[in-house]
Amino acid sequence: MSGAFAIETEGLEKIYRSRLRGREIRAVSNLTLHVPVGVKFGLLGANGAGKTTFVKMLLSAVQPSAGTARLFGRDARIPAARQPVGYLPENHRFPTYLTGKGMLDFYAALSGMEAAERRKRIPELLNTVGLDGWSDVRIKKYSKGMLQRLGLAQALIHSPKLLILDEPTDGVDPLGRRHIRDVLNSLLDTGVTIFLNSHLLSEVEAFCEYVAIINKGQLAKEGRIRDMVAGRGYKLTAHGQPEQLKPAIAELGMGSIPEIGRFELQVTNRDELNHAIDILRQCGALIESVTPTVSTLEDVFIRTTEGQESQTSLPEQVTV
Amino acid sequence: MSEGRAPSTASLLAALIADTFQEARARWLFWGLFGLSTLLIAFFLFILKIDVVQGAVSLLGIDRTSHHYYSLERVVRFAYSKVAMFLYVWETFLAIFASAGLTPSILEPGRVGLLLSKPVSRPVLLMGRFIGNTLIITANVTYLICSIWIIVGLKTKLWYPEFLITIPITVLVFAVLLCVVVLIGIAFESASVAVMVTFAIILMSAVLAQRDLFVKLLDAEWARQLWLALYWIFPKVWDLGRTISDFIANRQAEWFRAAWTSALFGVAVLGAAIQVFRKRDY
Repeated sequence: MSGAFAIETEGLEKIYRSRLRGREIRAVSNLTLHVPVGVKFGLLGANGAGKTTFVKMLLSAVQPSAGTARLFGRDARIPAARQPVGYLPENHRFPTYLTGKGMLDFYAALSGMEAAERRKRIPELLNTVGLDGWSDVRIKKYSKGMLQRLGLAQALIHSPKLLILDEPTDGVDPLGRRHIRDVLNSLLDTGVTIFLNSHLLSEVEAFCEYVAIINKGQLAKEGRIRDMVAGRGYKLTAHGQPEQLKPAIAELGMGSIPEIGRFELQVTNRDELNHAIDILRQCGALIESVTPTVSTLEDVFIRTTEGQESQTSLPEQVTV
Repeated sequence: MSEGRAPSTASLLAALIADTFQEARARWLFWGLFGLSTLLIAFFLFILKIDVVQGAVSLLGIDRTSHHYYSLERVVRFAYSKVAMFLYVWETFLAIFASAGLTPSILEPGRVGLLLSKPVSRPVLLMGRFIGNTLIITANVTYLICSIWIIVGLKTKLWYPEFLITIPITVLVFAVLLCVVVLIGIAFESASVAVMVTFAIILMSAVLAQRDLFVKLLDAEWARQLWLALYWIFPKVWDLGRTISDFIANRQAEWFRAAWTSALFGVAVLGAAIQVFRKRDY
């Protein structure tokens, strides 16, 4: 398998055309994304942002209107390019007439596994996802959480190099969510590239190293999560007599004078911080502490989707 | 970790065919078809209690003094041809009903996306379903026709292998009509519409087959040519049914042209179905 990137897209675009009214809906627009091999990559976006359409284009379930998609350097439209990919779709509908074991056997066969290999792998994997006692039970009797875990086993059955998970913990109770997280964590050192499409920001923040945010079908932001959420500002705590603080309050535009003489000030960058310290010190205030504050991925996501941050201010490509 | 070994087409088809059998079994289509066939066989076993020769004499009004009365072979061949026609119609209709849902079911959202994410091409995915479906019906037709043949043979002690021509012709006609079911199933993702269109084609075939009569009745040349063109384009469900009857009754049967033109129709429709399936977004 060749290619430094597990996923590469160049100018990927999808336009849905209504045949009757001739209307066009641009679901994904000129999306260029590079996911390096072996990283945990999160894809974020509001509902209808184009995340699932993007994933479906990677897997050739949706034909791109323009652009290219490659998996490990191979054109994603070639069936063999999908061989190293394990996929757990959102709102999946597994054949309910199959047992857990039968379902895994079917999808494993479609993934190119030999019968002997399948016989060995299926019980192992059912055990990993905690469904070993359910292998001969028909899927229609499975709960939502069990279905998700079975779906994860299905995605892992052929030991893929790229795991694409579309909302893997959606509708799963906290215990089931933890189980799924444990299974995913167990893959961390195996070199598997994990591409997580989720609207659960905390999940992406906790699990992924890189993230891309899609907004209205376009790539709005992309990069290392650590870089995105770091260096967002400083919290300054100072102390002084209210009377002394009046000029500082006026200059810093704080609006009201704290009654107890102790107050906190949030500034967004180093220049503002030093300016505030100078003014406060000139007024005789005592600086108690300066703490760098980081924004959460949620802050970044909201700012990005509301258009406060644009792709142009950020690196175009993830580098490791 | 996966070594990137692409599965062979044969192994993919085997998995897809096995899945089609499992789905047919779970949906009770398999058991329904075989159950109805068994009931029909039981009915024929009951008919064993009737004296076939005497029954035929009574039913067909053959004069006891006629030489036909003594031509047991002719009577049995006649009976065989009518039974074969009945079985042909029975199997074709039931098989279409039973198969109509099998293609749209794999197109359900949440199911098709996962199937397409596997290293399997869309034509192979569709062909796996098609072949699996055809094999289910072939098994059922073989079971039914062979059982009836054995029952009638045991009763009359006359064995006419020509009766077995019903199997390949029924399977051929079913396969051709299944191509229509598959195309409509993919285009509209509806089993009901697929059944409606298929039955419309069967009825059209019966009407178009009266070409000798209609060509005489139509006064415009272009209308006559259109009729003939439609006759040759559409599958010849009616003509192939008559072929079974003629073949068994030892009459001259012109089956070849009807068979290959019908097969050609099926291939063209299946090709269109694959093309539509390849371009669809799921």
